[in-house]
Amino acid sequence: MPLIIKDEYPEVLFREDGKRLDGREKNELRPIKMEVGVIKNADGSAYLEWGDNKIFAAVYGPREVHPHHLAKPDRGILRVFYRMATFSVFDRKRPAPGRREKEISMIISDCIEPILFLELYPGTSFEVFIEVINADGGTRCASTTVAALALADAGIPMKSLVSAVAVGKIDGKIVVDLSGIEDKAGEADLPCAITWYNKEISLLQFDGDMDLNEMSEFLDLAKDALGRIHQIQLEVLKSKFLTIQEKSDEIIVNKENQGES
Amino acid sequence: MMDVKRVISKIEKNYIINNLRKQERIDGRGLWDYRKFKIQSDIISSAEGSADVSLGETRIITGLKYEVGEPFPDLPNEGVCTVMAELLPLASPLFERGPPDEQSIELARVVDRGIRHADCVQTKKLCIKENEAVYILFVDMYVINYDGNLIDAGGISALTTLISAHIPEGKIENGNLEWTGKYFTGESIVNELPIVITYGKIGDIVFLDPNLPEELVCDGRISISVTEDKITSIQKSGAATFSIDELKMLGDKSLEIGKKLRKDLNLWQYKAKYK
Amino acid sequence: MENDKDQTEELDEFEDEETTRDLVVPGEVLTEDTKNFLPGRGTILNKERDKIISLSIGLKQIKKNYINVIPLRGFYTPRPGDKAIALVVDKNPVKYKCDINAKDYAQLKPKNTVRKGRIRGGRGKDFEQERLSTDKFDIGDILVVKILSADRLNKPELTTIGKYLGKKSNGIVISIDPPKIPRVIGRSGSMIKMLKNLTNCNIFVTQNGRIWLKGEDLAHERLVIESIYKIASEAHIVGLTDRMQEFIIKEKEKRGIK
Repeated sequence: MPLIIKDEYPEVLFREDGKRLDGREKNELRPIKMEVGVIKNADGSAYLEWGDNKIFAAVYGPREVHPHHLAKPDRGILRVFYRMATFSVFDRKRPAPGRREKEISMIISDCIEPILFLELYPGTSFEVFIEVINADGGTRCASTTVAALALADAGIPMKSLVSAVAVGKIDGKIVVDLSGIEDKAGEADLPCAITWYNKEISLLQFDGDMDLNEMSEFLDLAKDALGRIHQIQLEVLKSKFLTIQEKSDEIIVNKENQGES
Repeated sequence: MMDVKRVISKIEKNYIINNLRKQERIDGRGLWDYRKFKIQSDIISSAEGSADVSLGETRIITGLKYEVGEPFPDLPNEGVCTVMAELLPLASPLFERGPPDEQSIELARVVDRGIRHADCVQTKKLCIKENEAVYILFVDMYVINYDGNLIDAGGISALTTLISAHIPEGKIENGNLEWTGKYFTGESIVNELPIVITYGKIGDIVFLDPNLPEELVCDGRISISVTEDKITSIQKSGAATFSIDELKMLGDKSLEIGKKLRKDLNLWQYKAKYK
Repeated sequence: MENDKDQTEELDEFEDEETTRDLVVPGEVLTEDTKNFLPGRGTILNKERDKIISLSIGLKQIKKNYINVIPLRGFYTPRPGDKAIALVVDKNPVKYKCDINAKDYAQLKPKNTVRKGRIRGGRGKDFEQERLSTDKFDIGDILVVKILSADRLNKPELTTIGKYLGKKSNGIVISIDPPKIPRVIGRSGSMIKMLKNLTNCNIFVTQNGRIWLKGEDLAHERLVIESIYKIASEAHIVGLTDRMQEFIIKEKEKRGIK
């Protein structure tokens, strides 16, 4: 039986004033909020809200590999498990992981691996668990971004962070950071990620059609947006320690004030 | 406390037991104190109701989805409400990947029974057309951090989710399912508020709301669901045994604690804002 | 006090004068002056060899001509000579399997649990038996151990022979982030001494992030546990010892404990 309200998309994806349906400019990102250290049990963790995407990531490792036969004698292995909650999408998702989730897990794992020094941890595994509890387009990019943050929070030596964003074509125009509606109703979608230590692309997929000019436009737009996302990641990572510092500074200031009076 | 391991150290076990004997606990609580509840509702835009509940460091996020389906033949005018739980490996090094294990099934079952037998969900109101179409509600719980006593956190989480529900109201017209333009809210679905209360038992000491180290060392647990004045379900788990007197005492205690918790949490404040 | 002297040799790099207050994150450029500086601990030279880059979140430190990053987060990597608190998780007739909060389980052989000298005590037969069997400890025991050997490829090997080492039969063990352990010890042991003196608790800090403690009663122990967690969360801030002292004195008054 169908659902009572149908999942329908609008035909036009731009408003009359030229802005996108959610009021954004073509190169504007949705609001992004991140936090690290949200899951106390994990070795490292992060939470991200990106538009209506809500995603947790937790890192465990380095630790023994289960099942044992997956262990490699000369290097550590990185395993990423991207999962979506049943209620994270419009139609209830089946609880068991599907093909899509397995593919995305692999892509994220391949994207993150270059920043780690896996050869230093033979016979062990780093496991990154990603749980999407609310999805609204671009979850693979958001997941990659938050996974990198969780790895940094775990204190695992890494060459740099990774940031990811999707660019796409809607109504013939190239825009950055597709929302859920734009993703489904748009013509083209190019998720990509950058490893900052060499500023090269580490995740790339494309569905749709583009000519060579468009391709370079896509990548330029992505590069600019990725820089902004990287800034947010850095600030979030530092702010955890800076806020504690500020609090203690406050206490010192208060003490001094009391001394005067 | 020490990092979470499957094997709990002997000295930690002794430490917990010795302090419990003196009516003391490492986190400063008395034997009959809950850790702090923190509740947020309607946090997930893609769900028809949701809750984010923390009990101390234990955290569960729950969402509600619906489908329209055929009723069971023996209950032609009643909807269905099912509860599922997933112990995400993200939440604890003790949780493994893979299909639901005993612990997650028990969590879902105990919460489900607490709701089912307490006249909590008005299943008759979940009927669109007799014999043809009813709502099937899915209450899915995801454990985000595990620090003991998932059952009580899950119970409050499921209740808050149902209270925050806003499900599109459907009607059958000319054999087609259509939206009336209105929403069913938690207020019209939820009647009683059954609260699950879990106790741990070590030796002959019984205490409320075991945290993770306590849960790992305790002989067993008992979960009692209560409404305003009745006990609606009980689950004893683990290898502990309870005396008849203890059970009577716990029944009394549960009604008292349930009353207080119901008042303190004031769950009706989480009802959906729109109709 | 059990291990004051032992632990004063530990260097608290957080209080080190060369450690700046500069918070750095992975990938951050520490210097572009690769002629005068060399990449030290927690850093790497980039491919073009014109920048030194941080590998983790931590505090920047310049020591002679090395640039280091003192990590604020991270896991424990065993080094020979480290003291650690181990949990026996399994045993078979020839060895114990111990969890030392590292990537691998460590092994403890029975011959490393019995002092050789005891053979002269005239209990030769018993000794040989003890030397060869794993009856001495049980699963779930907490042992203070020393790391005998540890490298990248082999499982760490432990010993319980030595001063302050052996089984703990009471008290409680708590864990913090291993990189913050030097902070709990403090510069020349100042922090740990202060904690012990003010709370009258026995505290044993080990490099793998675990801390054993035992006090007069739960109230004292809880104060120590809370203080240690506070030290861990404020590890990167200057003047922590003085502030912690003030905190403990105030809390003791508030809680009415001596």
